[in-house]
Amino acid sequence: MNKENTRCVITGLGMISAIGNNTEECWKNVLASVSGIDHTKTVDTENCYSDYAAEVRNSDWDNIKGTEGMDRVSKLCIKAVSEAMEDSGLSDFGGDERVSVIMGSCVGGVLSSEKYYTGEKKKELIPQMPISAIASQAAGFCNAGGSVTNIANACAAGTISIAYAADLIRAGKADIVVAGGADAFASVPYAGFTSLHALDSEPCSPFNHLSGITLGEGAGALIVESYEHAAARGAKIYCEVLGAGITSDAHHITAPRPDGECQMNAIRRAVSYSGLTEGDIDYVNAHGTGTAKNDEAEFLSLHTVFDGRNDDLSVSSTKAMTGHCLGAAGAVEAVFAVKALTENIVPPTLGFSDADLEVLAERAGKIDFCPNVPRKKQLNTVMSNSFAFGGNNASIVFSKGEGGCTLHNEKKRIAVTGLGIVTPAGNGKDKYIGSAGSFAPESADLRSAVGKEEYDECGLKMAFYRKLDRFSQLQTVSGMYALTDGGYEVKDENAADIGIIVGTSEGALSPVCDFEMLISEKGNANGSAFKFPNTVYNAAGGYLSICSGIKGYNVTATNGAQSGIFSVAYAMNVIRSGQEKAMLATGTDENNDIMRELYTGLGLASDTPTAPYSGSDKFVLSDGSTTLLLEDEASAKARGARIYAYATGCGAAHKSVPFGTISGSGEALDRAVLAALEDAGLKTGDIGAVVGFANGHKAVDTIETESLRRVFGSRAGELPIFSVKEKLGEARAASAALGAAHAALMLSGSIGCGDCFFIEENGNMRKGSAESDKLDNILVIAYGSGGSYCAVIISR
Amino acid sequence: MTENEIKAKLKEFICSTLGVEPDVLDYDTELFGENAIGLDSVDSLEIIAFVDGEYGIDMTGVGKEHFFNIDSIAAYITENK
Repeated sequence: MNKENTRCVITGLGMISAIGNNTEECWKNVLASVSGIDHTKTVDTENCYSDYAAEVRNSDWDNIKGTEGMDRVSKLCIKAVSEAMEDSGLSDFGGDERVSVIMGSCVGGVLSSEKYYTGEKKKELIPQMPISAIASQAAGFCNAGGSVTNIANACAAGTISIAYAADLIRAGKADIVVAGGADAFASVPYAGFTSLHALDSEPCSPFNHLSGITLGEGAGALIVESYEHAAARGAKIYCEVLGAGITSDAHHITAPRPDGECQMNAIRRAVSYSGLTEGDIDYVNAHGTGTAKNDEAEFLSLHTVFDGRNDDLSVSSTKAMTGHCLGAAGAVEAVFAVKALTENIVPPTLGFSDADLEVLAERAGKIDFCPNVPRKKQLNTVMSNSFAFGGNNASIVFSKGEGGCTLHNEKKRIAVTGLGIVTPAGNGKDKYIGSAGSFAPESADLRSAVGKEEYDECGLKMAFYRKLDRFSQLQTVSGMYALTDGGYEVKDENAADIGIIVGTSEGALSPVCDFEMLISEKGNANGSAFKFPNTVYNAAGGYLSICSGIKGYNVTATNGAQSGIFSVAYAMNVIRSGQEKAMLATGTDENNDIMRELYTGLGLASDTPTAPYSGSDKFVLSDGSTTLLLEDEASAKARGARIYAYATGCGAAHKSVPFGTISGSGEALDRAVLAALEDAGLKTGDIGAVVGFANGHKAVDTIETESLRRVFGSRAGELPIFSVKEKLGEARAASAALGAAHAALMLSGSIGCGDCFFIEENGNMRKGSAESDKLDNILVIAYGSGGSYCAVIISR
Repeated sequence: MTENEIKAKLKEFICSTLGVEPDVLDYDTELFGENAIGLDSVDSLEIIAFVDGEYGIDMTGVGKEHFFNIDSIAAYITENK
């Protein structure tokens, strides 16, 4: 790759939080030690032991054209994006395919869920509920045409978004990435943290009283840009984005590992990928939530990593000012870290009395926690840390210097060595091979079923699986199946060499809605500590890490149905960059009474069996989970793994249309396919078949066939198009991942090709059949609401 | 309500809300720790909320010996009614 592309810089900042509507206001208040925490009046606090929150209290920011009707979380996000773009000297990107949008969030459009269940169940609220909407709407606002997704890793989401943005640039897949995170204060997180007794009854005081968090809200946005691109347009450069470390705890769904092992791994990875040593870090913007569990683990991690290697380290938590902004936290704190770096000022950690300072002195050792007031200090390199529910850890480094980023980008082939499949037709790869072809459902309401038999098969104990919501059940079973199928044993020595990307369209939206119904009936004082952890979209990936022992990369990506192969594309990037040797890439979505009500409300769930290309305006709602075990080819061969096929290319693109629709966005599919071909070093003539995404809804099906005709021209009619939805329905991300698994099974000869569709000259579809021995490369495509597309090429 | 009725109610709650399978849960089965049931601090919050809501008894901060099994929780409820 080009040396120039290894340098990523920050060229724009934007934020909104309880202490200001923009970066300048927020930073001014940081320097004045102003806290945004106050008593909340926006949620029901009856019988709740704490009523503090750090909310964006005025509304004079909520006036951006085009955001009318969006959830508050998207409005907050777009406010920060708008500021960051202006700060960077950027405007409407004109659909530029070299511009991506990656946004983190924890609770997404939960206020829309709240309005829906406490009001008249207005259908226009439904598309605003999932996290998926945020990046898509932000991409619409700035008119970005590249890869668009949301990172749904709860409190680490903002940091991971920036890390992934830099990875995309280093992989040569983008010149500019608008990255960050957003979350809005709402009853669900408030009641949830109340039920966990994790809220401080007073304003939170990180690294001090260890008595809980105070929730905040807001958004942070950073323009992450290749140095080359920034320099060519004469952009103002704040700093470099160096390495980032992302790991998972394999420990507990809400509590961090008390031994800090994987937090430390994240910090050490970030330092090492930056080409630096611990002694080079001048300041850490810590996660520092204020809970005993977090802060004690973090004290331990910071001391263990830095003591004796760095005697001049400053650490602070800005959450005493902004509250804990959840999925926005990492983004807001990255903005603060960059401001600290460029202005040579360490932000303070508020809330220490004289007596507290004495206790702090004992805990702090040589680390300066910068209590109460900011401190001037020459800063050359800073770090920002975020740790999340699900056991996710993320650490990122910003610097004035170029560093020596050790991440690379080898366009190597990636082996598909294991498959885990859960569908309404049955569970397990063999069951899929044996019966999916003859599965003939009479209903248009398809649901997968996993239970004791599957848990026993996967070695999962009741003490573990009793906690799982259904989305997590589907995900853990398919994930464990993939490891078993691939003969991949996770042991202490390789646990950090394997990671997870969960792809999902709606993620934990059902548990969110279920929790919302509970508290809207019983009040915020009566949420469920048992149910709340499952409302975070990354719970399923967290549970998979816990039961498999995987301690590497762990990200949940969500942007519509395409997320199920976007996970494959993301995982390929992680392996190619050298961050992991193996990855589980998944697609999981569920159909239950809540999802069925929402899809019926949107007029999309069919009551009768509906075939792809049938010209309907509905589809068969289904669910399931498919996991692919992807491995660095050399590693797979070294352990003698069976290789089904190779993932050789991936591409993603976006053409904004209103979230909840896709018509008019088809040209982005063309670009995603062409990008995947280029990535694989193939031409259209090399593609022997397609696994499509048609589901029976005319708008969806038309985009697929028209795009294939444009991209493949006269060859389009010869291309067999396979459908995993014809028998198994529309399972969104699960269908997309199953499409990739199906392609791998066909190429390995494990499954015959058989029935498929062909495009006739007039654009109609005819049924036919195809021979597998003619196939070398299969194109797998998927769509996402709002105009996001992904394409992956699976090769023999 | 007799102590046995309280135990039955606690068992029903632990199974329906905390996902424990009834056939492995007896009144003297150890609830917390690295065992077949494996309840943790999050589950204890749910039990505390249930006991408070059902019997008006606040078990916040109560010693963990009282949470050892269904028998000991029921005994605490009976003693403090």
